This record gives sequence, structure tokens and C-alpha cells, in this order.
Amino acid sequence: MAITRNEAAVALSDIENTARRSGMLRGYQVGGRILMMWSVIWAVGYLAMAFAPAKVWAPVWMGLDVVGVAGSLWLSRATAGQGASVPGASWRMLGGMLSVMAFVLAAFAVLQPTDPAAFLAFPGLLIGVVYLVVGFWQAPRFAIIGAAMFVITLVGFFAFKSWLAYWMAAASLALFVSGVWLWKR
Amino acid sequence: MAEPNDIIHQPLRLKIMAALYAEREIGPLEFSQLKAIAQATDGNLGSHLATLEKAGFVEILKDHVGKRPRTRAALTSAGRQAFRRHVDYLRELVEGVGEA
Repeated sequence: MAITRNEAAVALSDIENTARRSGMLRGYQVGGRILMMWSVIWAVGYLAMAFAPAKVWAPVWMGLDVVGVAGSLWLSRATAGQGASVPGASWRMLGGMLSVMAFVLAAFAVLQPTDPAAFLAFPGLLIGVVYLVVGFWQAPRFAIIGAAMFVITLVGFFAFKSWLAYWMAAASLALFVSGVWLWKR
Repeated sequence: MAEPNDIIHQPLRLKIMAALYAEREIGPLEFSQLKAIAQATDGNLGSHLATLEKAGFVEILKDHVGKRPRTRAALTSAGRQAFRRHVDYLRELVEGVGEA
């Protein structure tokens, strides 16, 4: 069989694209399950903010975040590995989640918002942007989900401010549907 | 210089092998996942998988999840070696290794 240099270059490019698509689709599958789990955590957290006094918001979210991070790590290992997981994926995921949480806490400490609605909206906006950036760089579906989250949070903040906790709890249904969309790829 | 592999070099079979090689540490790929990654149709994928299985490069695993039949594919050890050799050949060709 005679293969020209051009044909070889095209074949190598096909191999690279296939490997990239494979990684992206695996990411969707893992990310979808994690997103579905976080949608439940968000619903519980925002309903707690709707019904419980502000002084318990932080401990409630701390507890939920611990459950969320542990669940995400477990799901990523369980989904990715019928045998083996991607090396270092758990540490990268843990580092990413802790960084986002540290940023939220630091932003609240520095900006000291007095409007309770700011506490409700900020995490939604931040996660929306994180998903948008990930989507632009790696996996387009994340960009669509991030944009939806961002817009839903803004609409809730400006149009339904007094009902924002309920609005965000209801918005977790959109997160759940997004998770199913990713998972089913 | 490494040798080309006629069976692997066919475009869709190359994608199938690349997908299975990329997922070798994760485990076998389901037929539907492989179809999405290789961007193939059911008929095309089935016939090329059969060719790769006959060559001993791919192992087809059939079982049931509940009542639903499931078909998965994975590279054999011979398949992994053949794919690596073919990729080495392609790289050497592109880089001009072995040319005077």
C-alpha cells in the first residue's frame, strides 16, 4: 500500500480529532451526571434560603457543598472507570471546585454585599461564566448551559428579586434537564 | 521504518481504532458511543467492526443490561500494537524519516 505524505498527514489529523471528540463525549457523560446531582443540591440550598433565616444560609451551603464535592468525585470515578479513571482527573476536579468556592467566599468578604439577593445571584452568575469559558475552550454544550444559567439568574435578579430564592430553586430544574442532555449526548 | 497497515488505514476503521485506543484505559465502548465518536452509521460501523474483529484487532462483547441487549467493543492487545505501529508509520512518513 502506498500512502503519500499528504494522506498520512490527513490520517494523523483524523486520529487527533477522533481522540478529542472521544474525550469531549466522555466529559459530557461524566458532567451530565454531576450536573444532575448539583441541580438537586441547588434546589435544596435555595429552598433553604427561601424558608430559613439568613444566619443558617452559610452552614447549610457548607454542608451541601461538601456533599456536592464528594458526590462529584464519586460520580466522576464511577462513570469514567469501569476499570480505570483518567489519571489526575479527581484532583483537577477537586482543585477546580475548591477554587470556585474560595473565590465566592473571598468575593463576598471583599465586596460585603448588603442586599441578600446578591448572595443568591452571585453563585449562579459565576457558575454560568465558568461553564461558558469551559464551553468555548473545550465542549460547546457547556457554553449553552452556562449562557442559560447566566441569563436565568439575571432575569430572576432583575424581574423577580423578591422571589429570587424560589426562582433559583425552580431554575435547578433547568440544570437537571441540562444534565440529562449532556449525559444522553 | 514502521510498516503501514492496510486494514487499519481505511478512513472509518482508522477512526474506530483511534476511538478505541483513546478509551483503552477506560474500558470497552458501547456501539452507540462508538458511532457518535466515529461519526458513522449503524450499517457502516457494524461492517467495519466485523472486519477489525476478523483481523483480531477488536473484541466485540455482547451482553444484556436488564432486558436491553448491549454491544461493546474494545481493542485487543494485537490491535493496540498494530494501531501504534501504523501511527508510527504515518508520523515517520510526515516527518520524512527514512528519506535520503
